[in-house]
Amino acid sequence: MATLPHNDIFQLVREPIDTVALAGVVRAPEDGAVVTFDGFVRNQSHNRPTLYLDYEAYESMALTKMREIGLQIHEKYRIHRVAMVHRLGRLEIGETSVFIAVSAPHRAAAFDACRFAIDTLKRTVPIWKKEYFEDGAVWADGEMPPAPAATPRAKPAS
Amino acid sequence: MPPVSQTIRVTVLFFGRLKDLAGHAEDSAEFSDATTIEQLFALYTARYPELAKYRSSVVASRNQEFAAWDTPLRSGDEVAFLPPVSGG
Repeated sequence: MATLPHNDIFQLVREPIDTVALAGVVRAPEDGAVVTFDGFVRNQSHNRPTLYLDYEAYESMALTKMREIGLQIHEKYRIHRVAMVHRLGRLEIGETSVFIAVSAPHRAAAFDACRFAIDTLKRTVPIWKKEYFEDGAVWADGEMPPAPAATPRAKPAS
Repeated sequence: MPPVSQTIRVTVLFFGRLKDLAGHAEDSAEFSDATTIEQLFALYTARYPELAKYRSSVVASRNQEFAAWDTPLRSGDEVAFLPPVSGG
């Protein structure tokens, strides 16, 4: 597993996510809490029965963005470790698509960091899902990541 | 923008519905003049007019970082056109 300065884990995988193992791997004796988010495939979308989902990612950029989220939550909250794993490819109803585990000495930081992490992932990490129905498939409505504004024309040499 | 005389060659990536509309995930483009991400996108909307409909919801990246539309391209850049993201 790839590790970073905080021993965090950021992965894109094509196999089922071992949520129990990930929740365990972030725990340490100095922690008092692990908060996890388990996002899995719902059986309907806007009241249409879903058959399955297919996820794709801009993998190199997605991993960069996931690591950035990790750094952000270490800055914002008193947490110990983060594991953030997103699955790609075809996922069946009930299968975990994204799993985040955050350990911390105290629960409030772990809750806040985990919430921030999933909300930011959904807004900024370049991953897309296609929803398959009985009568066709559509790309899910997504969120537009905040993009930089136009750069000033005459940029002074700094 | 500095004058550029040599060829600028960039890799272009499409994802999600943009990939479906462009018919491929990866392309490469060459320019002999200074070019921005906006101008690069215009090249593809000329080729695949359907893409133009999505321009207002597309975010661009340059070398795996979100980038403004007026970002000038340099040879070797990897530019991606990203529809609204829907991970999670």
